[in-house]
Amino acid sequence: MSDARVLRETLEIVLANDDTFPRRFYEVLFERHPQAQALFHRSSHTAQNKMFAKKLTALVDHVEDPAWLERELTTLAANHVGYGVTPEMYPWVGEALLATLREACGAAWTADAERAWTDTYAAMTRAILSST
Amino acid sequence: MSPITSTNAELELPWNKVRSRVPRRYPHLVLAWSLDEPERIGEALPIERATSIGRGGPLDDDPAPRTSLHRIRPFSFVEGPPIGSARISRRQLIAEPVGEDEVRLRSVGRALMRIGGKPVTEASVRAGDVVEIHNAAVFLVASRPLELPASPPLEFPFGAPDPFGIVGESENAWSLRAQLAFAASTDRHVLIVGESGVGKELSARAIHGLSSRRASTFVARNAATMPESLIDAELFGNVKNYPNPGMPERPGLIGEADGSTLFLDEIGDLPEKCQVHLLRVLDDGGEYQRLGEAKTRRSSFRLVAATNRPLEMLKHDFLARFTHRIALPGLPDRRDDVPLVLAEILRRTARNNPTIAARFFERRSGQVAEPRLAPELVVRLLRHPFTHHVRELERIVWLALGTAEADYIGITPAVEAELRDSAESASESVELDRETLAQALAANGRSPTRAAKALGLKNRFVLLRLLKKHGLSVDAEHDG
Repeated sequence: MSDARVLRETLEIVLANDDTFPRRFYEVLFERHPQAQALFHRSSHTAQNKMFAKKLTALVDHVEDPAWLERELTTLAANHVGYGVTPEMYPWVGEALLATLREACGAAWTADAERAWTDTYAAMTRAILSST
Repeated sequence: MSPITSTNAELELPWNKVRSRVPRRYPHLVLAWSLDEPERIGEALPIERATSIGRGGPLDDDPAPRTSLHRIRPFSFVEGPPIGSARISRRQLIAEPVGEDEVRLRSVGRALMRIGGKPVTEASVRAGDVVEIHNAAVFLVASRPLELPASPPLEFPFGAPDPFGIVGESENAWSLRAQLAFAASTDRHVLIVGESGVGKELSARAIHGLSSRRASTFVARNAATMPESLIDAELFGNVKNYPNPGMPERPGLIGEADGSTLFLDEIGDLPEKCQVHLLRVLDDGGEYQRLGEAKTRRSSFRLVAATNRPLEMLKHDFLARFTHRIALPGLPDRRDDVPLVLAEILRRTARNNPTIAARFFERRSGQVAEPRLAPELVVRLLRHPFTHHVRELERIVWLALGTAEADYIGITPAVEAELRDSAESASESVELDRETLAQALAANGRSPTRAAKALGLKNRFVLLRLLKKHGLSVDAEHDG
């Protein structure tokens, strides 16, 4: 199965549980890295959850569209610099994202899923950091 | 000599072509609520042929070509970006038109589809029905042409109030804007007809704002508030000390509106003799006399009058002075605008009330963003048979805000008590036949208020609408 298909299938599973997934993601992130909480004061919790789910879904939907990804990740990188996000914070987010996905997928989480998400997140982080 | 033959197209006269040109209508899904994309409310998904609907762009194995939401305006039909809501599946619905106002829907996605509150996987829906995609989106089914009525070029963001405060992107909203613009361009007197709360003053201000008189001050007055003994003095003005000693000199509304627009609301409440007094000044010369003055004056004013009464209640020669009659659509006639009007009421409320903004609205990048609005409230409002239109919608919004127990705007017991289903009112109307209506009017001294009460209707406007439907009027004893 292609990485794109694995990413989409796992994301469909986690999004089926309404807004539990984005909420849980932030819980995990702030539990492991409480210092990240200070960066999320500009938007209300539900708005932040919605933005996160929408952005993640769009990135996965376009994972096979390099032109779209480059455009989107460049904008994302510029915005994140403005929010005060520093390079060492990207692994924190990746770690929380993988942990939440693992938890939400339960038995449906496979080694293929672990590898596809880890590789994709690493590639996207590289693209973001190289454009700042 | 060979005979000259003509094709049917050549024989058809241009005026006949215009008369026979009725634009084809198609069912549309109009976005009424969206959790993730509230900025797209009012956009419509035209169902011209079998269509795949879902998140993102086209997929290789789509069973039918994919369509997204469009921003449809006169001379403009712009497809927006693909649906981006995370809760909507990549392949969510397959829609197929069945005639002009019906569409067959098949739910093939992860999110549950509900119609009339019931979960379904396949259904036929008609204009006026509401389709819910669980906790993701609410669509109203509407029947519309692909091209909206030609209208003046007004520049304002999609879904926002136009420069005159009128909110709406529906066919009827744009048709109204076109009528107002045409009336404004002609400089003739205008009669605006519509129930309470449909925006009569807003429309009058739009006519003034679109006319060549816009640089002058708009003069507005409610005819029902003028004391009967002073109506003439109010309208035409008076010289000093006339009719009573000590009275100051007044130019009157007509003099005040010289070169501008005079808006008289509730003109139906003007006594007949006062209507007669206005006949001369409403003719082309605009001649009138101040009370107590022999001199004839002229005023180049345009009268925009409004009434919510049946036109038969106005004197026929007074009515004839109004070149244009514009009937304002009520909210039930432009249901697709209800979510936009609701959004504007909430936006205005949040702007003026920081406590409400902090409690009921999302915050994005430090700014007040969209309201936390329960989709079931939108669903019920789309089906509510409004009789006092925007004013009634405003009252329901305040009731929902005032009785909310959480941080979202939804259906509380107090709101529930106010909401009805348009299907209920339709069945109520079916029971009231022509004869019953005529008898109720006769038995109640032809008072629409008392007759409506006797028939158990919500108010006199419901009765007036039914009378119109059956070709009856309040005044005539023997209607044709």
